[in-house]
Amino acid sequence: MESVTQERPSTPVPIRSEAVPDSNPEPTPKTSGPMAWFTHWSIERRVLAGFGLVFAGIVVISAVSYRNTAVLIENSRLDTKSHELIQLLGSVGEALDAAESGHRRYLVTGDESYLKSYRTVVEQMPEYLRYLRGLTNEGPEQQARVPTLEQLIARQLGAEAEAIAQRKEHGYEAVRHLALSGAAKKELEGIHRLMTEFDSAEQRVLHARVAQSAGSMKNTIVLLGLGAVLQLILLASVYFLIHHDVTERRRVATELQRRGELLEAANKELEAFSYSVSHDLRAPLRHIDGYAALLSKAAGEALNDKARRYLQTISDSAKQMGQLIDDLLVFSRMGRQDMLRTTINLDQLVKTVLHDLRLDLQGRTISWTMHPLPNVSGDPAMLRQVFLNLISNALKFTATKAETKIEIGSVSRNSGEAEVFVRDNGVGFDMQYVNKLFGVFQRLHRTDEFEGTGIGLANVRRIIHRHGGRTWAEGAPNQGATFYFSLPLARSLR
Amino acid sequence: MTTVKPILLAEDNPRDAELALAAMEEHHIADKVVVCHDGAEALDYLYCRGNFATRQQGNPVVVFLDLKMPKVDGLEVLRTIKNDVNLKPIPVVMLTSSREERDLAQSYALGANAYVVKPVEFHQFITAVKELGIFWGVINEPPPEGSDKIK
Repeated sequence: MESVTQERPSTPVPIRSEAVPDSNPEPTPKTSGPMAWFTHWSIERRVLAGFGLVFAGIVVISAVSYRNTAVLIENSRLDTKSHELIQLLGSVGEALDAAESGHRRYLVTGDESYLKSYRTVVEQMPEYLRYLRGLTNEGPEQQARVPTLEQLIARQLGAEAEAIAQRKEHGYEAVRHLALSGAAKKELEGIHRLMTEFDSAEQRVLHARVAQSAGSMKNTIVLLGLGAVLQLILLASVYFLIHHDVTERRRVATELQRRGELLEAANKELEAFSYSVSHDLRAPLRHIDGYAALLSKAAGEALNDKARRYLQTISDSAKQMGQLIDDLLVFSRMGRQDMLRTTINLDQLVKTVLHDLRLDLQGRTISWTMHPLPNVSGDPAMLRQVFLNLISNALKFTATKAETKIEIGSVSRNSGEAEVFVRDNGVGFDMQYVNKLFGVFQRLHRTDEFEGTGIGLANVRRIIHRHGGRTWAEGAPNQGATFYFSLPLARSLR
Repeated sequence: MTTVKPILLAEDNPRDAELALAAMEEHHIADKVVVCHDGAEALDYLYCRGNFATRQQGNPVVVFLDLKMPKVDGLEVLRTIKNDVNLKPIPVVMLTSSREERDLAQSYALGANAYVVKPVEFHQFITAVKELGIFWGVINEPPPEGSDKIK
């Protein structure tokens, strides 16, 4: 996945280095420019960083937009209040005017019906004033005007009430001078002046607020647009990544299937090959040996020692080749045979192998050191072969020593895996040939020194590899050898 | 053992056949051996037809069968023998170069009585063939003629 992503020239998340805060302290001694540290990052890290930035951008935009919208809503609420205030001021002004002209008419005529609007104003004024206080409670400038207005209104209404009372008691003459100009002319003028102030101040605030709302509205639209773009980028990147991943998976799956088929075909071919080797190649060998024996018998006494030795060599060579073919077939079978998976007690397994080797042990003095071995998971017949080969080798290569020492044990370096070793004090080997040890038909000694075709360790390696383990060896000339292999422990059996 | 019953050897390789005969000769049982050179000939012998139409009636005491033969291979011959009520009682010994698990399993599944891998070494080969010849041709008591009719 990683290598394929790197093939693409364009990274799916188009984050520029300028967009990243310059706080990264990583020094860039070799490559120049602010992009240097970025290019050192793995693809996963870059993708993550890109997503992180886009995500952070969206969060910031959302927060700012939210705040702007809240301001807009608040402004619209305040606007409503302002409009109501302006309307209220108009109504109060008209009502006071009506009351004033009404009370003057009464002063002139004494007709009480003219006092209707005056009485309404007196009755409703406390309500009006409460309303006014409510509408101005958020603006300190306007709020400061309210007590003055209240005072003026109280004085106007008070003066008018006094005039009305005098008219009632003392008649027209007592209030004649008032009837023309009104009882509270001065106050009414003051009220109107104050109301104009009120009105123009409120209009000013209103205009300022409208301008602010328009600005933040514009702001919000721009930000939301930017957010939409970022989200589109995010979506496109996700789509791109997923699409890329899916395509890649499909390609890999197809490739795997194709390789599997090829491998199967190759295996079948190999099987047919080894079958024909097993059947056809051995027949002529049998004939060579057979007819050499028949010839030796038929010629009998007529043969001299030299001729007899030649015949013997023919026969020996045929046998040797037969052995090689058999070994090769066993080796090939080890690779193809179906494997069992059971829990194996290695201590028990080693005991049976030693029992099988009892003929080779006869006449030898061997000091055995046996450490307890763990239970492993694997194929019993195959692992028996492993121990048989390793112990046979140990016996074979210690045959020339006066005292044979063989040690079998295990080390557990990590959980889930056992490392088993077979150590001898035999002829050993030079570590520079260690890579040849486990090869097919590789021998480190001459045939006349130690017999064998050189297949044993190759089989060991193949079996251990099929179990998912490793093989290795340590040794030195004339100082013995230790062969190791690792196997999955029994509890990791799945 | 009053009547001398033949041993049928189906072996396509004349040298293998000669070596086998040489081995049996040492123990004076070679004259009992009838050699067929492929599976078809072996079946002709067993069914008394073709070149063997005029042979003396009766089943061989044992059949030594090579696996890989031209025309009809050993497994095919084995299948025919074991599917025929008259031939079924004849002991069949597979005598082959193959040690393949698949061949072993198939042979036993089809009802082979023994499976012997021809050793490369002549002395071992002689010993094997000799012992087979003596066991199946002399020691082992073959089924009586018409034993199938008893069932």
